[in-house]
Amino acid sequence: MKLKARRGLTMPDPLISLIDVVFFLLVFFMLVGRMDATAPFDVAPPISLLGEDLPTGGLTVSIGVEGQMALDGVEMDAPALVAQLAALHESQPDLLVRVNAHGALRLSVLLPLVADIEAAGVGDIVLVVTPNPI
Amino acid sequence: MQLARRKNPKALISMTALIDVMLILLVFFMVTSTYLDLDMVPMVQSSEETEAPPNTSAAAGAPLLVQLTASGQVRLRGQVLEIAALAAQLADMVADNPGLRVLVLPSGAADAQALVGLIDAATTAGVADLRVIRPEGGQ
Repeated sequence: MKLKARRGLTMPDPLISLIDVVFFLLVFFMLVGRMDATAPFDVAPPISLLGEDLPTGGLTVSIGVEGQMALDGVEMDAPALVAQLAALHESQPDLLVRVNAHGALRLSVLLPLVADIEAAGVGDIVLVVTPNPI
Repeated sequence: MQLARRKNPKALISMTALIDVMLILLVFFMVTSTYLDLDMVPMVQSSEETEAPPNTSAAAGAPLLVQLTASGQVRLRGQVLEIAALAAQLADMVADNPGLRVLVLPSGAADAQALVGLIDAATTAGVADLRVIRPEGGQ
C-alpha cells in the first residue's frame, strides 16, 4: 500500500503577519501594563521629581480628596481599613503598604491614617507620587 | 492540455481559535492596563533601615524645625520662605552640618502636595534625616 505524502502545512502570508503583530502587541501590553486595583474614586497623586522607584507587591490604600478611603480598590472607612491591615500584618509581617493619596488631600486626614497604620504594626509605608501631573 | 486544479492546503491545527484567544487576551490587557508613571516617597520604614547614620549623633546638634502653614508656605525660624529659598538655606546648613536633622511641623490644613514639595526641597538640599511631626487635630 502506498501512502500519500502529506502536504506541508502552509498558511496564507497575510494571516501569518496578522498573528505576528497580534502576538507582539500582546507581549507588549503584558510587559508594560501594571495590574493594580484602581480606586473607586479619583486620585491624582502629588507631584515629586525626586521620587524613588515604586516597589511591587503589597497593598494599596487610596485616599480621595474628600477623605474617601479604599484598600486595594474596596471602599471602606478608616477603622475598618486599619483593622484589616492589622489582620493582614499578622499573616505577613513584612507587609508593604502604598498610600495613594490625592495631592490636594489635607494632612489632617493623611498623617493620622499613616500613624494608625504604623501603630497597627506595618513597618513599610510609602507615599505614591508621580513625576508628571495626571 | 488539462491542468490539474490545485488543492487548498489544509492546516492540521486550526489557527482561527488561536488568533481568537490571542485577540481576546490582547483586548483584555489593553483595557486593564494603566500607564501611570508612579514613584514613591518613603513614609515609614522598618527600624533597621532607619538607623541613624554615624554622623547624626550629638555632633549634629539640635534639630531644625520647619513649619508648613495651611496655605502651603514654609516658615523657617519665623521667616516665611519660598520653597527654592528654603532649599538654598538648607543646603548652606547641610554644608556646615552634614548630619542636620530637620523636623517638619505641618499644619493639618496643608495638603499632601505641599508636604511632598517640602520633602523634595530638603532632599535637594542634601538633608538625610527628615522627620514629619503629626499635627494634633485639624489645625
